[in-house]
Amino acid sequence: MSTSEAIRADAARLLAEGRAKLVIGYRARGPHRAPAFVSDPAGVDVLIYDNLCKQNLAVYLRKPEVRSRGPVAVVAPPAVMRSLVVLAAESQLTEATVLAVGPDAYHGVLDLAGAAALLKEKYADLAPSPELLEALAKLDAMSPQERARFWTDQFAKCTRCYACRAACPLCYCARCIVEKNVPQWISTAAAQHGNFAWQIIRAFHQAGRCTLCGACEAACPQGIPLMLLNLALSEEVAKQFGEKPGYDPAAKPVIGSWKPDDDQGFVR
Amino acid sequence: MKILDADKLPDLAAVLAAAGYRVVAPVRDGAQVRMAEWKPGLAIDAGPIPANSVKEFLFPRCEVIARYSLDGDSFAPQPAPVDAPKTAVLAVRPCDAAAMVALDKVFNWEYRDDAWNARREATTLVALVCAAADDECFCTSVGGAPDARLGADAVLRCADGASKFILEALGEKGQALLAAAAGVLADGDARPDPPASVPVRFDSKAVTDWCGENFESPLWRDLGLACLGCGSCAYACPVCHCFDIQDEGTRSEAVRLRNWDTCGLALFTQHSGGHNPRPDQAARWRQRVMHKFRYFVERFGGLACTGCGRCARLCPARLAISQVCREIDEARKAAAK
Amino acid sequence: MTIAIYQSAMMNIVLARDEAPDVRTLRLQFADEADRVRFFQKYRVGMFGLYGVPGAGESAFCVASPPTRTGYVECTFRRTGRVTAAIRDREVGQAVTFRGPYGNSFPIESWKGRAIVFIAGGIGLPPIRSVIWNVLDRPGDFGPVTIVYGARTVADLVYKDELADWGARPDVKLVTAVDPGGETPDWKGQVGFVPFVLDHAAPPGAGAVALVCGPPIMIKFTLPVLLKLGFAPKDVYTTLENRMKCGVGQCGRCNVGSTYVCRDGPVFTLDQLRHMPAADM
Repeated sequence: MSTSEAIRADAARLLAEGRAKLVIGYRARGPHRAPAFVSDPAGVDVLIYDNLCKQNLAVYLRKPEVRSRGPVAVVAPPAVMRSLVVLAAESQLTEATVLAVGPDAYHGVLDLAGAAALLKEKYADLAPSPELLEALAKLDAMSPQERARFWTDQFAKCTRCYACRAACPLCYCARCIVEKNVPQWISTAAAQHGNFAWQIIRAFHQAGRCTLCGACEAACPQGIPLMLLNLALSEEVAKQFGEKPGYDPAAKPVIGSWKPDDDQGFVR
Repeated sequence: MKILDADKLPDLAAVLAAAGYRVVAPVRDGAQVRMAEWKPGLAIDAGPIPANSVKEFLFPRCEVIARYSLDGDSFAPQPAPVDAPKTAVLAVRPCDAAAMVALDKVFNWEYRDDAWNARREATTLVALVCAAADDECFCTSVGGAPDARLGADAVLRCADGASKFILEALGEKGQALLAAAAGVLADGDARPDPPASVPVRFDSKAVTDWCGENFESPLWRDLGLACLGCGSCAYACPVCHCFDIQDEGTRSEAVRLRNWDTCGLALFTQHSGGHNPRPDQAARWRQRVMHKFRYFVERFGGLACTGCGRCARLCPARLAISQVCREIDEARKAAAK
Repeated sequence: MTIAIYQSAMMNIVLARDEAPDVRTLRLQFADEADRVRFFQKYRVGMFGLYGVPGAGESAFCVASPPTRTGYVECTFRRTGRVTAAIRDREVGQAVTFRGPYGNSFPIESWKGRAIVFIAGGIGLPPIRSVIWNVLDRPGDFGPVTIVYGARTVADLVYKDELADWGARPDVKLVTAVDPGGETPDWKGQVGFVPFVLDHAAPPGAGAVALVCGPPIMIKFTLPVLLKLGFAPKDVYTTLENRMKCGVGQCGRCNVGSTYVCRDGPVFTLDQLRHMPAADM
């Protein structure tokens, strides 16, 4: 049985048994892959899975329209499972039902603990792509002035459409800081000052949380290489705190917790 | 017939820049080709459909519409001049050029927007007949064509198997541009290449009619589930024109800004008292489709969509308005049987 | 060159009056006489303006004073966000920006000789106060005037002095009400929701004109009462208070269907509202 067929069978069973009222998976739209929302066991035939399925479907769990449907099951490659684990660690969800897929195999229906165990067992060493590592190394090798110019050029393109935020499962604030205007923390204009503030704040709010799923960069209509920022922060967190988010549903948030042996070298 | 070798677009840009034009052209930027201000040394890539539309050069993402000096509790108006440089846009797509005609209506239907009109007047659109289209293109479904001329001041057309361009002026602005570019243009003959073939994907009239009867439809709920609520589609759209007005400033100066905005974002219609007439993404998708295919038709006598397909190419959830329209058209046909 | 449609007039605050908690009335005078002349050439009751404080922003509210009083413009607003807070913080002698008037108006010339019933809830009175004064400033032109006005509590009633004036006039029948629980021991008016109070006051609807303004829920329950009393849908008017930014039919924010509330409205008849997609209001 192919992965797609296995997913359909499990989805139909979950829906028929009432364990899920809604299954979120992937469907084909021409050569593209779009999200599929299936609530009827008879409708599972649209579900497919292949290596073109890239969107992080965990993002839908924050939508009231989705949550109000009752228990939801999500077709989850490792990136989606890691997002769910972080959401659980941040008390955004208490349980999850996933149809766990890996690049190599289909792992069946799992709960949150099962997903976390699977991640640790089989997907503990998900490495960023060589291209991304190379691009970051190139950036690191730049002088501060060159790097500033690089980001100035990149951020200049930002239209403030907030697709990066919308695509990220971990950007779940009911009211984002860019939309708070008493006081106006961040300039609303899609121009240098506000764009820098927005981009830096977005990245910093992800520090120690981002699982490097790539949804934000894939969503950016302007082609801004957001993963360079995410990866830089992520490597810094790993170096400073030895933490890799998205594996332990009981993990304390890196930036929201304190340990006596945390590096305090920055305190002068 | 005015001829330009296919690899000489940068020469055309250079001669126009020397003649005082700000030149906007498709240039490669990372994985994308974008319409951007051309600078000497930049290659021009007229192959792929640019990721952004030409809109932002006539209707900037952010613009100062009023300026005040501040002194304690008092203030005084200061000049806020309109920035409308003489501009040549090279290889603008026919769908983008047509969109500017739709926007002319919005910015002039009752009150006239000086900034839009000044930039429109100062801009020469050199359309490129599309030699290729992708699976998101649907200009032919919304009254356009890969070789349409609506809104264009001049037309570039691939010829002799993509080895040359034919450049043709369509009006005074186009003639002035051709005159300024005379130094790089040759007189001669060339056989125009056939334009791209773009299949008709739906009947837009059927969509307009359907929208009139289906303000309540399960379709909106389904779309609302998948939509993430970002502004990517609207900001990429050459016709979307909704904007916000915001003040910003320092202790000594305040500016009133016009910023792009979109009905796809939750705060767009949110009242300060908390009530939101469009409370969910389903209502916002409905507004998007209705505005483009019904309300705009009722108001301005044309569609607010020119079929460029950018919204679908860039949507993080890969939603496509053309597919929505196709489903509507098919449902209508099925119901009629 | 500047964008002419966004150039504001400077207006000086000559009077500020607190009407209710967080609700204030400002009387504004044009700093430039030419702006005043231009304004009153165009201004008819029902139109609105964009009031602003540079650095904070602009906010749309109605012109609450009638065109029969040509020395000033009054507005009454509730402090709800950044802009209204900034306008409220301005003091007498200081300036605000103003552009307008925008929008359509109540067709009061077609109401000559007819009975007029004004129905308002809470902060919904200011948009029709200009009509009330316009009508009362032209004695003999219109038929009998009835005003039904309710608020959540006694403190939330706006224009308390004017309510007293209207109540004392022989040519006005005034009914004031507060929601149950909003009354004070010395409250002399009625207790009940506006639709209920209107039903009891029962102004005859045949041939009469009604103006309704208030929170959406009040309007929703008032309209059936008006129909029951015999008002024709084409003679029932309200004004929509959608979010607006530009005021000139371009920014797309106030749209309800193909209607630009800022240009085709804000005044609509019940007849017109029935043809608009209700869910977008």
